[in-house]
Amino acid sequence: MKRKVVTVLLALAAFALFFSCKPKESNTAVAEVQKETEAPAADASSGTLPRNQTLYWAGLQWGSINGWNVLSDDMNNFNVSRQAYGTRITMFETLYMYNFLDGSLVPLIADGAPQWNAGKTEVTVKIKKAAKWSDGTPLTAEDVAYTYATAVKIGNTAGNSNKPYIAAVEAKDAQTVVIKAALDASGAAKNPLMLDNYLAVEYVAQKAWIQKLESRTGSDATKMKIDPAEDVVYSGPYGPYFADDQKVVLVRNDNYWGKDASMWGKLPAPKYVAHTIYADNAGGEVAFKSGEVDVSQQFNSNVQDLWLKDKLPISTYMSEAPYGICGSLPTAYFNMAIPGLDNVNVRKAIAMAVDYDAIIANAMTNQSPTFDQVPRSTMNPTPGEQALYDQKAVANLQWVGNDVAGANALLDKAGIKDTNGDGIRELNGQKLSFKASCPNGWTDWMAAIEIVAAAGEKIGIEITSVFPEWSVYQTVVTQAHQMEYEIFMMWSDGSSPTMPWNRVRQLMSSEYVGVEGNWSGNWGQYSNPKVDQIISAIPATTDPAKLKSLYTEANKIYLTDVPSFTLMYRPNCFHAVNESVWTNYPEDGDGQNIPPGDLIHGYSIAGLYTITPVK
Amino acid sequence: MNGYRKYFGKKLLWFTITFVVAVLLNFILPRLMPGDPVAVITAKSAQGMSEASAVKEVYEHYAREFGVNDPMFKQFITYFKNALRGDFGLSFSQYPRKVSDIINDAIWWTVALQLPAIIVGWLIGNTLGALAAYIRKGFDKVIMPVALFLSSLPPFGMAVILLVLFAIKLEIAPTSGGYGFDMIPNFSWPFVKSVISHYQLPFWSIVVYATGGQAIGMRSMSIYELNADYVKYSRFLGIKDSKIVGYVFRNAMLPQITGLALSLGTMIGGALVAEIIFSYPGLGTTLLAGITMADYPLLSATTLIITFMVLLATFAIDIIYGFVDPRVKAAQFDE
Repeated sequence: MKRKVVTVLLALAAFALFFSCKPKESNTAVAEVQKETEAPAADASSGTLPRNQTLYWAGLQWGSINGWNVLSDDMNNFNVSRQAYGTRITMFETLYMYNFLDGSLVPLIADGAPQWNAGKTEVTVKIKKAAKWSDGTPLTAEDVAYTYATAVKIGNTAGNSNKPYIAAVEAKDAQTVVIKAALDASGAAKNPLMLDNYLAVEYVAQKAWIQKLESRTGSDATKMKIDPAEDVVYSGPYGPYFADDQKVVLVRNDNYWGKDASMWGKLPAPKYVAHTIYADNAGGEVAFKSGEVDVSQQFNSNVQDLWLKDKLPISTYMSEAPYGICGSLPTAYFNMAIPGLDNVNVRKAIAMAVDYDAIIANAMTNQSPTFDQVPRSTMNPTPGEQALYDQKAVANLQWVGNDVAGANALLDKAGIKDTNGDGIRELNGQKLSFKASCPNGWTDWMAAIEIVAAAGEKIGIEITSVFPEWSVYQTVVTQAHQMEYEIFMMWSDGSSPTMPWNRVRQLMSSEYVGVEGNWSGNWGQYSNPKVDQIISAIPATTDPAKLKSLYTEANKIYLTDVPSFTLMYRPNCFHAVNESVWTNYPEDGDGQNIPPGDLIHGYSIAGLYTITPVK
Repeated sequence: MNGYRKYFGKKLLWFTITFVVAVLLNFILPRLMPGDPVAVITAKSAQGMSEASAVKEVYEHYAREFGVNDPMFKQFITYFKNALRGDFGLSFSQYPRKVSDIINDAIWWTVALQLPAIIVGWLIGNTLGALAAYIRKGFDKVIMPVALFLSSLPPFGMAVILLVLFAIKLEIAPTSGGYGFDMIPNFSWPFVKSVISHYQLPFWSIVVYATGGQAIGMRSMSIYELNADYVKYSRFLGIKDSKIVGYVFRNAMLPQITGLALSLGTMIGGALVAEIIFSYPGLGTTLLAGITMADYPLLSATTLIITFMVLLATFAIDIIYGFVDPRVKAAQFDE
């Protein structure tokens, strides 16, 4: 009897599950899209995606998607995501593709390099004649101009972040776009770097589709931004195929314009690209190891163990540490309003005493160069940024870390001593005791903060670690006058066309001082008019020697005043591949100059055209 | 019959009062959490935005969308009015999805996993517990420690053991998801097979855990009942053993039924561990994301469902007890 009951219940469960697996409503439209695109011969109509024609990612999609709307910031769709180090261009495309290996802009929709006018106030971009939308209509300059105008009108991130710097995007003719910079009082472009950023980061949407969206929403900005856009027209190589709460699948558009000789000259290798939705990193890692995932954008601790110990066909861009290209600088900020931390000797002593090698070995499992290899500055470790400042001129200011004796000597010399014998130094009669924070659950950052706290103990400064939840953490950290977090971690942005200028700005610009809801930078509220001058001078500077001297000066100030200190280097995105199904992924030294950007960010998509199936 | 009506009416009154208080708490408590959900959602769009004024615009847009600048009282009225229509508003963590859509997508997975698992665990546990109490000797010596071990093992421990053993080492079960990573849902036997095979590990991880606790409870209750006077008396009367066992287990079962009702009531939030370890779809992970992102609308709606189900379960148990157990009935009539 009991067995019968169990069997019936199991059957019921399977039945219930079966019905709950129905694709969401939005998928009916997806199915229609599928019908419209030519049905491939060996395809997924059997219900199974052919493994050797499908490329799987992990670490880019968390939770189910909300739609395919390229004008929205809220689609939670890994294919619709602007990224400074390389916008994701599987479905929608940008004028240029950013290559974070060398900082170059590779033409995509654009034909040839962008042409600046003599006064550097506007840039002209030609559009490739071959460029087409998925509905077969040509992609024109009119689409580019209308996309930008709409972005500004509805106030999405693309509009909000560009409008201070771009006055207008105009279509001169079907094949010519002119991007006009917003000008300052002197008539010069406010910031030419932001125009480069626009060219590489912002998507182009189809004017006809936007107008369709406008008519069904009555041009209501909010409605336009939350529309799931099931009817969207795209220009990239892949379009919607299937999506539910467990996966997102795109299918190749075999009529993709990019197979024209003026672009790639062929179609990307995978017929389908897919992303299974995992509950957490551990789920993605298990699937990656078992070969269910080809490209992983997840932090795999001790990634080398996967091939050295587990003997799996897994590799990274470089076969030796740091295994990838680091682009961003996770940084600990000092809250300058806290008594004690307003003293530069205290700040520098803490920064000098921290054991960075331990952070890099433990928190990053050596997936970061050490500060011996790449001395600290405002630059990321890429050769392009490193060449922009005079390393010798600041060498005496760059500390490597774990220098307890040096830090103690610095404090002693400054007269900051332990006067009451409790083992903790005092400044102006006040015990030097601070809290060091980062969000709970961000394990690599937490490990780093613990090492900062340990450093304090060695130099007579009490540092205790506190790990609030992210929702609380970022609410506090973005307040203008918060006194709760004293030494705290935030990011500094990775590679992008505006770097390293934007990073100098992010680390030190006083424009963020006193700003409520500050997600932009300088969270410690550091202020120095000399730095502000340098920050405003860099974007318009074209003379390389002058530029180098400005960056060197900014670094001198940064390393002298220590408003914050970088704890490790970190890749723009993690990039590891399992070669059990696909091979010939881009690698360091293969001469292709394709960045390790998961074959989806900016120019790294070129990898989709080089990979080949193993069998 | 009048007694029943009074008993039923009183229970219903308490049920209603508790429900109203619960609705109020469901609204207020998530909003007392530290952290600003509008800031969380803004942070998502604002990363990499260097213009402070542009970020402010983004923040204000979301604040307007969610009406968080309205006074709390006005927010409650809106919430209550909409909730009556089954509309719990937009989610913060999954904006612009509706809370009702999110729950509707996820809840069936949770129910389909939890309901059979709890019932099967309950049946197996109670049978084993009863047998251990009745047979004693060797059987009890094995069942008791095993049950203790299973119930004291944290649920995630059991899930991880099953995952490593069956999915990673033996490779006879899939590692994650509700169906094959390379499948598109369709009405075919391979797909159904895939759903069933993905169901196994999360299902058994819950069953095994539930079994242990139930077995221990049932064993103690049964031993107590087996030593009761009525059992001895029945034996003197020469009543058949199987008949006596029937009496014993019916009495021992009462607290177990309460336990079952309560675990059914709380099942919505209970499959978190299985969902996370096996990346199995469901409401548990959604709820967790809601908590970490201070997603009030999602939290309020989910906790409201849990509250309602627990209340309903206890209400049903109270009513059934009134009919089934003469002692409860008597106690109520005496008042």
